[in-house]
Amino acid sequence: MKSMVLSRSLQALALILWGAVLVYFHTSGRLVKYLAPDFRVIAFLGGLGLVVVGLFCLLTAREYATCGHQHGPEDTHDHESLDIHPIGAFLILVAPLLLATGWTKDSYSLAALTRKGLDDTAAESGIFLASTLPPLTKEIIERQHPPDENGYRQFPLLELFFSSADPEMRGLVGGMQVVTEGRLIRDPDPHAPANQRRLYRLFITCCAADSRPIPIIARFKDAPPEVEDNTWIRLSGTIGYPDEGEGHHAVLEVDFAKVTDPPVEESFMRGF
Amino acid sequence: MLWAVSADSRQDFAFAFLSILFEGAPFILLGTLISGFIDIYLPSNTMDRMLPRRTLPAILVAGLLGGILPVCECAVVPVIRRLVKKGLPVSCALTYMLAAPIVNPITALSTWKAFKGPIVALGEWGTASASVVMTVSRLGLGFLVAVAVGLIVSKIPLRKLLKPKLVESVEAEGKATASAKDCGHDHEHGEACCGHDHGHSHEGEGGSRMVAAFRSAMRDFTDVGVYFTIGVAITALFNTGIAPGAEWLDTLAEGQVAGPAALMALAFVLSLCSTSDAFIAATLHKFTWGAKLAFLTFGPMMDVKLLFLYQTVLRRRTIVLLAIGLFLGIGAAAIGWQAAISAMNPPLSAP
Repeated sequence: MKSMVLSRSLQALALILWGAVLVYFHTSGRLVKYLAPDFRVIAFLGGLGLVVVGLFCLLTAREYATCGHQHGPEDTHDHESLDIHPIGAFLILVAPLLLATGWTKDSYSLAALTRKGLDDTAAESGIFLASTLPPLTKEIIERQHPPDENGYRQFPLLELFFSSADPEMRGLVGGMQVVTEGRLIRDPDPHAPANQRRLYRLFITCCAADSRPIPIIARFKDAPPEVEDNTWIRLSGTIGYPDEGEGHHAVLEVDFAKVTDPPVEESFMRGF
Repeated sequence: MLWAVSADSRQDFAFAFLSILFEGAPFILLGTLISGFIDIYLPSNTMDRMLPRRTLPAILVAGLLGGILPVCECAVVPVIRRLVKKGLPVSCALTYMLAAPIVNPITALSTWKAFKGPIVALGEWGTASASVVMTVSRLGLGFLVAVAVGLIVSKIPLRKLLKPKLVESVEAEGKATASAKDCGHDHEHGEACCGHDHGHSHEGEGGSRMVAAFRSAMRDFTDVGVYFTIGVAITALFNTGIAPGAEWLDTLAEGQVAGPAALMALAFVLSLCSTSDAFIAATLHKFTWGAKLAFLTFGPMMDVKLLFLYQTVLRRRTIVLLAIGLFLGIGAAAIGWQAAISAMNPPLSAP
């Protein structure tokens, strides 16, 4: 009986911990970096549910309960035995979760981003987004992208990235003075010039694990700003789409840069 | 492994690990709550009563019963063991065992959610949401494979399929049922005084069934959560390129045969729950839709943990033959399915 109570208590604590982590990430606002919008409410409700079920089972751990049906003479199954020892199960459930919670910085490193496609061109990306591109006339493009106070037209990074795969867009947007924002990170190409960086945002389908970077190349006239990888930055400059041997990349020749606050939705989401 | 790698790799692992875990945990909770309450509140002969008497209709219905009795693959084995003992035809029991983890509303919902967003090109028919394509294909293939296994099993003698002890138990139950007609009590209701299970509930025995149901759900969550955590950790290691062999696995991704085979092998090793495996499949973006379909259909029917669970019911030889048959059958179906998709419109069918 004592070992059964211990087993129930450990399982209940594991559930409460899982639930608490989910609720914490939601209430702290960090969950937006992990999940697409419609999963966030589900995760929050799931977290609450885990806490409630865990608390209920913890508070009733000593209570006698019956399943209400007879087990046959050779049917030794019960409704509580685990596949593995309860302490082992508890450690497997809890240890990776706590370690990951301690280790995460809510973002990927340069190596992981490179693996996920930081140096891919839009043509290689395999993401079907043609429908998100605006109609192809210069007037409409200019109307949709009003200039900021410095005269640079405001473009989402996503549009600059995908326009590099479209010859007509390259012709219309190439040479335009634009301003865009994203996360600045070192260039994964070891042969890249010292003044070159990547500006990217993640594109999430469901969660961060299935995310893909949406990058453009940022080339600075002088030394790039001394900021940590993944710093949010607003870059103003002239966009071009040169083919330097690996297909057309969107390259922003930067006139000036300004560190900025991250937007509410740091990643692009499909369908939102 | 993770202590030996850089802080950047730990950060990457943690980010991917948490995102998949956050996505899947609520669906595991939903599934285990339902299975916990079924475990305690649903009499085990409910399913037996639902099945037609003729073999083919009974197998077809058994393949769809997961729709109203949704259980994952971990929970289904004890259930069918119990049902076989009570005289449910083995062909129906195995059909239900293979189909229920896939052909059920929770798995359908999680698959639909996991693949929400991407588009699958269907040639002249236009395009369709990957949610719809993958959910329908998964449930359809799972049902067909389970029914095919049920039909094959219906032609094989019981002794060649089941563990000897279980066969004896089935035969003893049959004799007891026959003699019960003369034993002076009613087997359609009443007490468990005769030494075998009447498969019905006994109210008022003391103790809370609600507590028992929540404990059963918690047990299921813990069991599934353990495998899920291990699976998510391995997936996160491959997803972020930390795991040795991640690059090699990538090279298999585009292979028409190697891709589905690799993902079925991965599903076998990961032993994920069918209620949450779609969230992992959705992150394997280098693989084809067909390979993902193989992963999602084979995994709930055969994996490492099921090998152990099946041994409580089936002979080892049966399990080995079942594993080989499922691998080849599902692999062939997935390859054919991908070939059909690719033939419709190759440039737009990239995952």
